[in-house]
Amino acid sequence: MARTAPDRPALQSAHDLELVALASTGGRAAFGELARRHGSAVRGLMRRMGADGALADDLAQDAFLAAFEQIGDFRGEGTFQAWVKRIAARLYVRRWRKSAREGLLAEGAEAEAAGDAGEGGAVSRLDLDDALKGLSQAERVCVSLCYGAGLSHAEAAAALNAPLGTVKSHVKRGLDRLRARLSPDGDGAQASKVHG
Amino acid sequence: MAEVSFEARLERMFAQAPAMRDGELFALRVLERLDRGWTARRLLIGAMGAVGGVVGAAQLLSSGAVGQLQALGAESNAFVTQHLAQAIPPSVLPAGVTLNGQVVFMTLALAVVAAGLGIARAIREI
Repeated sequence: MARTAPDRPALQSAHDLELVALASTGGRAAFGELARRHGSAVRGLMRRMGADGALADDLAQDAFLAAFEQIGDFRGEGTFQAWVKRIAARLYVRRWRKSAREGLLAEGAEAEAAGDAGEGGAVSRLDLDDALKGLSQAERVCVSLCYGAGLSHAEAAAALNAPLGTVKSHVKRGLDRLRARLSPDGDGAQASKVHG
Repeated sequence: MAEVSFEARLERMFAQAPAMRDGELFALRVLERLDRGWTARRLLIGAMGAVGGVVGAAQLLSSGAVGQLQALGAESNAFVTQHLAQAIPPSVLPAGVTLNGQVVFMTLALAVVAAGLGIARAIREI
């Protein structure tokens, strides 16, 4: 009995790991289903890291193409989505490092941060996307790498080619700002002033 | 404790990505780029194979390897024919059947081709 490619409904009901197995034998349709399922999440992460819509889509596509090339490396230890997100996050960092000047993560680089993020005081109901906009680009990237792409601090430092301590301090400051902005009791203004 | 709970909350928020309406289109674009890459790769491999084939053929012809191969073939044919004649006397063979090196080599080549086809078919059926 010759093996035939699964049809669309069969792919839609298949588990990610089954689709990965099919894709690893060259199954394009199975990989297309994976891209359909997880594309939004990867594109969303790119936007949260600071990419605009077009760049986010380009990088997410690049990440899926890279994932297809390396699909034999995916061992199913985490989710497929998390794996592609890590690939995409590293691609974003590479692009960001290429386009930015030296000293990207230097302490002074946070000057661009919206230091008055909580000035208005009415930020308690901001969602994550808006809250991230209140961070400096360095903080935003570091926080997104660690909490969006699931990289450890050390992995983020390696991806950014930056000292571990610098990454940790950006993450810490980013978390403080986000906590202030996302706190349900609306004390964002005070917290921002303390940590900013 | 509060730090840990906020970090967990943040991870959950990151995991909650809004579904984008053009998810289908995005997947199609990924597949298009995948196909484009494979087409380019096939063309490149084909072109490199053609160039390599031409270079290899030119090298073979210019080195006189064809003549050497012909001489080697004639020698091995004579050797096999001679030993076959010793092992199997012509009187044993049916009338009209001759057994020489060429027949043996041709039979072996056909057997290799048949085995290859059989393996390919078996792999397809599994």
